[in-house]
Amino acid sequence: MIEYTSTRHNPGIDPTLHLWGWEIPVYLFLGGLVAGLMMLSGYHLLRSRWDHDRAHGHYVTAPLFSLALLSAGMLTLFLDLEHKVQVWRLYLTFRPASPMSWGSWILLLVYPALAASALLTLPDSLPRLVRRLPVLSRVAATLSGRDGTVHLIGFANLVLGAMLGVYTGVLLSALGARPLWNSALLGPLFLFSGLSTGAATLHLLSHLTPRARGDAPGFSDALASVLVTWLRPPSAPEGSRKLEQADNSFLTIELVLLALFFGGLMTSTLAHQTGARLLLTGPWAAPFWVFVVGSGILLPLLLQFLQAQRRIQSTLVPALLVIGGGLALRFILVAAGQASHWSIALP
Amino acid sequence: MNAPFFKYDLFGDEISLVVAFAIGIGFGFFLERAGFGRARMLAAQFYFRDLRVLKVMFTAIITAMVGLFLLSRLGLVDLSLVYLTPTFLVPQAVGGLILGVGFVIGGYCPGTSCVSAATGRIDGMVYLAGMIGGLVGFAEIYPRVEHLVKATPMGQVTLAEQFNLPYGLLVFAVVLMALGAFLAAEWAEKVVGRKTPDPDSLLAPARPLAPVRRFAIVLVSLGLVAAFAGNPYRGAFARVDTKQLALDAGNKADHVSAVQLADWIVEGRNDFLLIDVRDAAEFAAYHIPGARHVPLAELTSDFVARNERIVVCSEGGIHAAQAWYLLRSLGFPAVYLLFGGLEEWKDTVLYPQAPPATAAPRDQVEFARRAAVATFFGGSPQTTGGAAPAATPALPKLAPPTPAAAPAGAPAGKPKKKKEGC
Repeated sequence: MIEYTSTRHNPGIDPTLHLWGWEIPVYLFLGGLVAGLMMLSGYHLLRSRWDHDRAHGHYVTAPLFSLALLSAGMLTLFLDLEHKVQVWRLYLTFRPASPMSWGSWILLLVYPALAASALLTLPDSLPRLVRRLPVLSRVAATLSGRDGTVHLIGFANLVLGAMLGVYTGVLLSALGARPLWNSALLGPLFLFSGLSTGAATLHLLSHLTPRARGDAPGFSDALASVLVTWLRPPSAPEGSRKLEQADNSFLTIELVLLALFFGGLMTSTLAHQTGARLLLTGPWAAPFWVFVVGSGILLPLLLQFLQAQRRIQSTLVPALLVIGGGLALRFILVAAGQASHWSIALP
Repeated sequence: MNAPFFKYDLFGDEISLVVAFAIGIGFGFFLERAGFGRARMLAAQFYFRDLRVLKVMFTAIITAMVGLFLLSRLGLVDLSLVYLTPTFLVPQAVGGLILGVGFVIGGYCPGTSCVSAATGRIDGMVYLAGMIGGLVGFAEIYPRVEHLVKATPMGQVTLAEQFNLPYGLLVFAVVLMALGAFLAAEWAEKVVGRKTPDPDSLLAPARPLAPVRRFAIVLVSLGLVAAFAGNPYRGAFARVDTKQLALDAGNKADHVSAVQLADWIVEGRNDFLLIDVRDAAEFAAYHIPGARHVPLAELTSDFVARNERIVVCSEGGIHAAQAWYLLRSLGFPAVYLLFGGLEEWKDTVLYPQAPPATAAPRDQVEFARRAAVATFFGGSPQTTGGAAPAATPALPKLAPPTPAAAPAGAPAGKPKKKKEGC
């Protein structure tokens, strides 16, 4: 009891410090990850002539993984809601000034776009299900029959993915009461962090889906081979080099955005500077520099650079580090943001 | 800018973890590049097939040794602030034997098992898991074996002190010993392990001035310089920088307020020593929980390790200030004084005064916090009757609680394991 009041670590003493627990960071991470996956597979659909590039294993299973991850993320968001039964009211109105309203509508549109791109690849990703339900294969054939439809689905995924990615950051930056989040750069930062974790996840999927047999890699196969080829894939699959290069570009942009984010805060008011110092030198400095910058950005950058030059063996380590770094960024920013106050600037 | 940087407050706890991350990555990288992530490579030294481990480790030791010695002679490193692990002769010999047996059986030492696990080797991961299991098991039985672990204590000793040798001479001797070991290792590799020598080996290089020979010459000459360079420790002859002392005293960076100290104790911080310089009777009557009684006359240059963070307290503050000057001139870098002494401690921590009812909510919250801290230390908050503030400080001079009145489980009261060490 004494310790609670004197060190104020108890949620009952300082409830505002602990308004958001693990649910929001996990949702922001999964939302960003799905946004990245949507943009990458949308870009793939737009660029590819569909018939030729069907065999790209990771793009086949990605939409289904995205649907699963997004649903998990939505579940955490739902867990965080105070009035769970009232959630439907969000869809009775649209308020252009409210990021929450934007977010709920974006999420509503994201699902059909993802479902359409999942349907496109369903005969390859879940062959058994499609054999049971032939109607699915007819739908898939109709959708992939015309390049225009495929491109439309790709475009929708690209645009909605970008909106989703930016929205996860805007959700925080719109809360003016927290000086650390009070930066417009948070949207792009989360978007590019999402893109890098998305590319890393695709890379992971490409390693985990068997390609040797020539037939299509199934969704369930991919899950089962997670344990088999854990750290040492037999060889780097085709396309993974491009993904590594893309991931490195995203990580570099993310690093620049982080620098600009802190640059902006440090040249702003005392409250913003104090907020930024929470991460730079304060209580979150060690996890931030180690897990976000060190092992989340710099180390995978270096490893992927060396892998791309074929100077070291290609492994899943950089992909796992990038995903860990993305998760750490959300957790640390959400926690440190809630600890940053305007009252710090008062005399 | 002097080293050790942490001790000179160049960075705090958080940044020190970031530095540790960078050093750890670098250390792991070079261990892996040296081939130490492979158990076969490490075990090869026991069969004299490849004594690379011995060479790398010994090179690291003499490089660090010569470097530290010379840097401290140049005044860039204060060796007395570098932490030395205390020696417990018999337990450490037994521990070394256990480690050696584990090394031979498993093929890894603790550091290299981490490298091996990080490079994806399953034997390394199993070894690491076993090590963590052993650590947990040891921590669980520690209270029962503590007397064994702390048997035959010798304190913080160095070879030079133990054998009464000049430090520099010892450095030179170790460099020569290392060179001898390298030569013996190459000879053993050739004769016992049947290994064809490298073209650039120390023993029989293809060219007369191979890089490894040049490196050896540099190390031996630096060792020779060290042999005549004198004592690297800054002794009692070090000059006191009175200007710096005056500046430190002037900018009040050396003050710790009673409230701050109370918070440290409540938080269970154990990275500082609280020294009470009053006389024995006063100390027996009351002292701050966790304080250690050291009269002014006993503040010598070796009364505690010089890398300790020390907070001095006295009744009013004058004796503490004198102790501060004394300790600073004895070369203790991190000395602070309890501002206002025990008087201030009683007024603000043990018996804090309630703010008037009209005070701002922030002050009320702050007082609630202070009241809780006061109860923690066995004191009681003083509330003023009604809204009118008392004209005179009506703080009743209660008999200060005896030490027993302080909660027995006060975190700072218990000796805790230091954070330092390897």
